[in-house]
Amino acid sequence: MTVRDGIVITGYGCLTAAGANAESTWESVLAGESGIREVTSWDSSGWPYGLAGEIKDYSPRELIANRKLLKFITRQDVIGLNAVAQAIDHSGIISHRDGLAEPSYFNDRTGVFVGSPATKYRYQHDFLSPLASAAGNSREFGVRAMNDVHPMWLLRVLPNNVLAYVGIEYGFKGANANITAHGVSGSQAIAEACRYLRDGAIDRAIVVGYDSASELEALPYYASAGLLSSRGLKPFDRRRDGTVLGEGAGALVLETRVGAEDRGATIHGEVLGSSVVSEAEGVLSVREDGAGVSRAIRVALEDSGKTPDEIGMISAHANGTRVSDASEARAFADTFGAAAIPVTGFKWSLGHTIAAGGAIESILALRCIEEGRVPGIPTLEELSPDCEGAKVSTSEQKPRSSVGIVVSRAFAGLNSCIVLSSNG
Amino acid sequence: MTAPRSVAVTGIGMVTPLGNDVESTWNAILSGESGVREIAGFDASGFPTRIAAEVRNLRAEDVVDDRKSLKYASPFTLFALAAAEEAVRDAGVRPTPATADRWGLVSGSGMMTMEFDFLQRFQREFAADGEIDLARLGAEGEKFISSSEFARHRAVAGQALLHKRYDIRGYSANLHTACASGGQALGMAMRVIRSGQADYALAGGYDTMINPIGLAGFCLLGAVSTDNDRPSSASRPFDLTRNGFVLGEGAGFMVLEDWQQAKERGAKIYAELAGEGNSLSSYRITDSPPSGDGPIQAIRGALADAGETTDAIDYLNAHGTSTPMNDLSETNAIKAVFGDRAYDLAVSSTKSQMGHLIAAAGAVEGIICTLAIERSTAPGTANLETPDPECDLDYVSEGCRSMQIDVAMSNSFGFGGSNSCLVFRSPRRTEVRGE
Repeated sequence: MTVRDGIVITGYGCLTAAGANAESTWESVLAGESGIREVTSWDSSGWPYGLAGEIKDYSPRELIANRKLLKFITRQDVIGLNAVAQAIDHSGIISHRDGLAEPSYFNDRTGVFVGSPATKYRYQHDFLSPLASAAGNSREFGVRAMNDVHPMWLLRVLPNNVLAYVGIEYGFKGANANITAHGVSGSQAIAEACRYLRDGAIDRAIVVGYDSASELEALPYYASAGLLSSRGLKPFDRRRDGTVLGEGAGALVLETRVGAEDRGATIHGEVLGSSVVSEAEGVLSVREDGAGVSRAIRVALEDSGKTPDEIGMISAHANGTRVSDASEARAFADTFGAAAIPVTGFKWSLGHTIAAGGAIESILALRCIEEGRVPGIPTLEELSPDCEGAKVSTSEQKPRSSVGIVVSRAFAGLNSCIVLSSNG
Repeated sequence: MTAPRSVAVTGIGMVTPLGNDVESTWNAILSGESGVREIAGFDASGFPTRIAAEVRNLRAEDVVDDRKSLKYASPFTLFALAAAEEAVRDAGVRPTPATADRWGLVSGSGMMTMEFDFLQRFQREFAADGEIDLARLGAEGEKFISSSEFARHRAVAGQALLHKRYDIRGYSANLHTACASGGQALGMAMRVIRSGQADYALAGGYDTMINPIGLAGFCLLGAVSTDNDRPSSASRPFDLTRNGFVLGEGAGFMVLEDWQQAKERGAKIYAELAGEGNSLSSYRITDSPPSGDGPIQAIRGALADAGETTDAIDYLNAHGTSTPMNDLSETNAIKAVFGDRAYDLAVSSTKSQMGHLIAAAGAVEGIICTLAIERSTAPGTANLETPDPECDLDYVSEGCRSMQIDVAMSNSFGFGGSNSCLVFRSPRRTEVRGE
């Protein structure tokens, strides 16, 4: 299927370590500023792996309009809902809906597609106290847990809370999905929203990817798997030694082009196509030849009706780990050959926000092609010989066209590609 | 534009509290047996609820032949591997190097990927008095976790094992919308094949929350039945005295494929997965409203997507959890959509026998619909003894009913308000429609 109405982006918003909204995040990235710091949300003194891209001055009461919600949701949910509020505000769909004679039809035709981090280690910490006092007595643990743990505990930790509360807060009742696919979740939320839009099941969708990946236990455990850097994230660099986890959320409002034009919406760009494929190599393994990334790009280009030489820039996964960056660079060389398309990445500034990454990076890639500016990667000192396929730079580059691709990768050998164009 | 492709169900597999494969589960459904018992997997004596429907006698080594994969499989992943293996064998087709890219994998997977044993060890190591010793965690945390544990804790651990075991290299989705997960996974897989993104899909759901933390979570909410002294009738959907659901566990997987291709290879086709309705209740986290708003849109959406009217539906496998609000809301949703026809429709909840399989429920109940069609039998609703005047449909409370079923429907509604409704059509009806 290549002929279709078109799916357009009419609003977006994000909250990241580098900025409290899309514009400030974009400005930070352009200015070469990183949001990665030593962790502040707990005392990490003496931690060998203490870097994170945390939300700055995190204050849930300022991030959420409906403060009553704060009893029922967790930090990652607050971050996700904040980005959604920004995107919805940006799109103007609520004032449009409220002027309609039949808002219930509008609500039934509005979907919600979420890239979710699933559960977190820290949400089980409520059970540490009953475990300690039970001292190995399993019956006693049950009794203590019933007394000590908040009655709403399970509802607070649901992996689909952002989906649920976007519905409850705004009244949307259309098709929905909650993708728990690690690093491709945010991209796949966009892809699945497009599926239901193309199928005609909905007319518009709220899409959000959110995560607070830099939680207490994640740092030592990701370090244990050899995935973290203690020095900083240096994508494609000869001396890169791992990624840095972060927090954030990116949200978009997608609509059919005809729907957006009918309501006179400002159209910022278009989602042309997408893909999700697996390398089928296991939970943590990554193929060194980049075949999964190449295939993800090829399938997404076919889905978009685009050829490699029409692509103007690449937002790479660029997570700073040895194998991921090298295999990704190889895939770019294999797919685009000598075309040398400008490549950038954003995790050096935002940290690796796992389930949020694809959504946030799609917003930033859209800014790149809108403005004709591909930000440099200031932490890059010396291009690694095994990353020569990636045309990265410390300084700004120009996109070759107004079409960009966003590559995201995840555990389980998952690779995703989103193809976007600006409204040029 | 060519007509969208039809999607055939050509393989089924399940692991449930009623049996570790399709036939034993179906036979237990026919005999009216209950899978609910006193919890055997751990000491639940300190909890107000001490019963659940557990999978029994599933031996890991019978499911997975290589020890390496076993290291990466948590209990519910094992259910998934067993059910997927049965489905793939049943379909008589599996990915080859030539077709691997054309296979997709869509799973609704459970939320509790961190095992209780790990939390206990963490508490002893880093939180002896209940408070986390941050300096110690920073210094020792790296050595505390093994790489296989780290892998098992990932939400995509099961997805990764399934991809690798069957060499599925095409489309992939791992979903979690609580109790709607399995239904939504089948619906999405159907759309993936229709759109031509894949020619085959392995799709289903798997879950367990029967562990001390999961049970604690549901007990704290007061969502599960406390009828510890009569486990076999604790799950009694639509009964006036229903007082909460009963936790179950397990997995269900289907092989779905393009209808024409299935015909050409001479596959046995159980049913067509003909339509999906997917909606959000946007009411409360735990319930849909009494009016049925939310589920109504899902049911209507599924009918429209399948090109069927209410008159065509013979059997509806209800979400039917046995909670006071779900069963009322669902009944009212059925009445709102079906009108007077609602009273002619056979509606039943197999959760009355196997409990609530959470993220696996929609997948297992979808499989039950395909069997209901194939075997011309509507499963019954067990334990419905005291009619609820507000739940007054035909719930097949007398036991399984022999009847021709051309079109079956399956409802799944999740915590968080996600709703899934699926329509399955008999192969005969699909062929007639195609002519």
